[in-house]
Amino acid sequence: MSNNLLEIKDLNIFFKSDKNPDPIHAVRDLSFSLKQGEMLGVVGESGSGKSITNLALMGILGDSAIVRAEQCSLNNRELLNLKEHEWQKVRGGEISMIFQDPMTALNPFLTVEYQIVETILAHLNISKGEAKNKAIELLLQVGITSPKDRLKSYPFELSGGMAQRVMIAMAISTSPKLLIADEPTTALDVTIQKQILTLIKSLQEKNNMSVILVTHDLGVVSEFSERVQVMYAGELVETGRTSEIIKNPKHPYTFGLLSSRPGAVTRPAKTPLASIPGIVPAFHQRPAGCQFNPRCIHVLEDCKLGKIPIEHFVRCLHPMKETIV
Amino acid sequence: MKIFFSELYFELKKNRGAMTGVIIIILSLVIAIFAPLLAPHNPTEIFSDSLRLPPVFVSGGKPGFFFGTDDIGRDLLSRLIYGSRISLSVGFSVVVLSLITGTFLGVMAGFYGGLLDRIIMRLTDLIMSLPSILFAIVIVAVLGPGITNSIVAVSIVAVPNFIRIIRAQVMVEKNRQYVFAAKLFGAGNFRLMFVEILPNCIAPLIVQASLGFSDGILNVAALGFLGLGAQAPMSEWGTMLSDARSYIESSPWMVTLPGICILVTVLSFNLLGDGLRDALDPRLKKQN
Repeated sequence: MSNNLLEIKDLNIFFKSDKNPDPIHAVRDLSFSLKQGEMLGVVGESGSGKSITNLALMGILGDSAIVRAEQCSLNNRELLNLKEHEWQKVRGGEISMIFQDPMTALNPFLTVEYQIVETILAHLNISKGEAKNKAIELLLQVGITSPKDRLKSYPFELSGGMAQRVMIAMAISTSPKLLIADEPTTALDVTIQKQILTLIKSLQEKNNMSVILVTHDLGVVSEFSERVQVMYAGELVETGRTSEIIKNPKHPYTFGLLSSRPGAVTRPAKTPLASIPGIVPAFHQRPAGCQFNPRCIHVLEDCKLGKIPIEHFVRCLHPMKETIV
Repeated sequence: MKIFFSELYFELKKNRGAMTGVIIIILSLVIAIFAPLLAPHNPTEIFSDSLRLPPVFVSGGKPGFFFGTDDIGRDLLSRLIYGSRISLSVGFSVVVLSLITGTFLGVMAGFYGGLLDRIIMRLTDLIMSLPSILFAIVIVAVLGPGITNSIVAVSIVAVPNFIRIIRAQVMVEKNRQYVFAAKLFGAGNFRLMFVEILPNCIAPLIVQASLGFSDGILNVAALGFLGLGAQAPMSEWGTMLSDARSYIESSPWMVTLPGICILVTVLSFNLLGDGLRDALDPRLKKQN
């Protein structure tokens, strides 16, 4: 028994494929935990396994996926053994999710009212009238003015930011313990981004809800989440307090990510921004040894052999000692 | 939903053919509903002194029998008016029956895929591999002639169209993110299928329903013409046609008038169907 809300140990996700006899190993030995009321930032390039992990947590990876874990529990309740009808109660009830593009995540044919009220009725044992009042209250909470009019709206009548607020209202309507925000601001413009994130943050603090915030944007992570974990090619490469990692990244990949931000490192005028050469290797071409070794500028011979363990919260044999100013 | 229909009406208003169709349909609905008030005589009443009278505007016509009488002296106008009742309710029943079964099977096939999909689709292939009227004749031959059985037969023949259309649409819609999101908010499969996905598939369904209406009327009339549909005293247009066949040369109006009625009704539903398709299909919209 532990006090953590979410406890994940050695999570492995495989995908069966028709072309390859061997299943694709999409997420390897991922372990992390999340306390009640904590916000965890998850950073990584596309294809690093962030979204797949979230979907596994919601139990909707589909038949082609094999999910194995020593432990994958929410509130000391093992998730992987749940039956489908039990999952339906967990999804939306205990774990909620908000998405990258709110405009496509709302059903274009149903009113906002219908969608929120149905979600509430599916999980809470209250009457339709109460659910409607709760919906109004929720819309006020997420900062939508004149919520009564908005309830009658169809999704196409909302702006992107407003739609995302509606999504958030739906997500928190059942007071979930865990909110997964999968790049909640990528599709929104920058001014709205900050409002939405501040909203998520304030709701997290108010409801003592845990949040997993998946993002590409290190700036977002540094401002909003206490803890961050960096993923690369299906592995956790570095984890720790955001403030420390931002200042003093140990893994070369994290270092590379951080120094590729505009203004992160001082550079002569009119030179291109720093970048990490290459791309994430495809699933069937994963290298031996450190997953990052083909792209690493500090690569040594021993990086190319065997499996690299996580030591002191970083999966690197030769952690960086430099700091980013 | 409300917005959908008001937008649909707006698009439809621009289409003259479709509006003509709508007007004719409304007109025939009115005629069908108020048939007892509009018909000058009882449709089964026999006037033995006036057999095969020509319409009133042709020489030899008798006032009181506007469209003349048939071979046993029944007033043709009254029979045609009552016939609209049968034809419209036949069309309606066929559409409702085939729409409900077709939609249900199509949604299941599209949503679940796999073995269920294969079974349902092979069944539709089986039905579609025969000419629809031939297959309907086979079914009526098994069930026995009569208006109810011919409705059932024609509905079965119409089901595959609905299944195919709805299945294709569901297969597209089920991968949309709102479906995924609903699932993540704890929705079960039946909710996903019939509350989330189905309303988004409604456009092609409406088109097919209006076209299915005319197909239904036409097929039931054809069965009636072959003597397998509505039986003797019933004033069904197809049956009237068939009864009048032997008098085609001596009393052409007896064949022509029910024929025109079928033509106009079927045409008006087709016009409406085409109009709806133009209004609802975004690909067609872009071209004009």
